[in-house]
Amino acid sequence: MSNQTAESTEVDPIFIDKARQLVKHLEDDNEVEANRLLHELSSEYSSNLFSELGKLTREFHDALNSFRHDAQISQLSEDEFVDARDRLNYVITMTQNAADRTLTAVEKSVPLCDQLEERGEMVARKWKRFMARDMSATEFRELAREIGDFLELNHTDATQLKVHLNDVLMAQDYQDLTGQIIRRVIELVQSVEDSLVDLIKISGRDMSEPANDTKKESNTLEGPQIAGKESSTAVTSQDDVDDLLSSLGF
Amino acid sequence: MKILIVDDFSTMRRIIKNLLRDLGFNNTSEADDGNTALPALQSGDFDFLITDWNMPGMQGIDLLKAVRADAKLASLPVLMVTAESKREQIVEAAEAGVNGYVVKPFTAATLKEKIEKIFERVNANA
Repeated sequence: MSNQTAESTEVDPIFIDKARQLVKHLEDDNEVEANRLLHELSSEYSSNLFSELGKLTREFHDALNSFRHDAQISQLSEDEFVDARDRLNYVITMTQNAADRTLTAVEKSVPLCDQLEERGEMVARKWKRFMARDMSATEFRELAREIGDFLELNHTDATQLKVHLNDVLMAQDYQDLTGQIIRRVIELVQSVEDSLVDLIKISGRDMSEPANDTKKESNTLEGPQIAGKESSTAVTSQDDVDDLLSSLGF
Repeated sequence: MKILIVDDFSTMRRIIKNLLRDLGFNNTSEADDGNTALPALQSGDFDFLITDWNMPGMQGIDLLKAVRADAKLASLPVLMVTAESKREQIVEAAEAGVNGYVVKPFTAATLKEKIEKIFERVNANA
C-alpha cells in the first residue's frame, strides 16, 4: 500500500499540474477557480478512500455470505453446538454409568470373597484336625457335610463372581464410545477455530501481539491438569504436595 | 468413627466410601457440596470430614473456612481430596487450616496414609 502511495505522488503529473494552477489562481485572487480546484483535488482523494473502503466492505460481505452459504458453518450454529453440548453431557452420563456399574460389581463381589475366605478357613482348620487324627466320628460326619456344602458354595460363588467380573469388563466399553464422541467435539472446536481465524484475517486485526495474561487470576480453579499442558504453578505429584505442606509446617 | 464425604460426583463419593470401608470405617455419610455438608456437620456428630474443592454451590475451601469458624466444629479434622493441584491453592488450604491434602487421581495407599497420619496427630494432641 505504502509503495503505491509513493508511486502515485511521484508519477501523477495531473496532480502537480492542478496544484500549480491552484497556486496561480490564489495568487491572482481568483477565489472561485481556486475553490473549484481544491474541491476537485480533495474529492479525488476521498473517492480513492471510499473505493478502498467499498472494496473492504465487499470482501467482508462476501466472506460473511460464504460463511452463511457454507453448509457446515450454518449447521454449526444451528445444531452442531447444541449437539456437542448434548454429546458432552452424554459422556458424563456414560462415564458415570460405567463407574457405577463397576463399583456395584465390586461391592457385590467383596462379600462373596469374604464368605469363601471364611468358610475355606473353617473347613481347612477342621481338615487339619482330621489329618492329625484328632476328631471323633460324629465330628467327622459333620465335617464331611461341611466339605460338601463348601464345594457347592465354591461353585455358586465362583459362578457369581465371574458374572460380576464380566460386568466390570463390559462396563469399560464407555472408553471407546466416549472417545469417539469427544473426538468429534474436538473436530467441531477445530472447525470453529478455523472459521474464527478466517474472520480475524478478514477484519485485518493484528494477532501477532501476544495477549496479556496478567489479568488471569492466579487463583482460578483449573481442575485436573492435562498431560503436556500443565499449569506452571501446579504441583506434579502427591510427593510435591507433601513437600509443600511440610515446608509450611505440616 | 463417623465420616462425612463431600464431592459433587457420586462416583468419587462411592470410591472414597469403598476405600474407607476397606480401612475399617463403615460409618460414612455423603453430601454433594458445602451447602448440604455444613448443616449435616452442624447437626451430626461427625469425627472426620473428607471434601473435594471444586463443587457447584459452596466450594470445599469455603466449607473448610466455615468449619474452622464454627466453634463447635473448629477442631474437626479435614482432609481435602481434589484435582486442584496449584501451589497457591494448596497454600490457601493450608492457611485455612486443612489437616491433609490429596490430589486426584490418588491411590488407595495415599488415602490410607493421609488418614492415618491425621488421626495420629489428632490423637497425639488429644
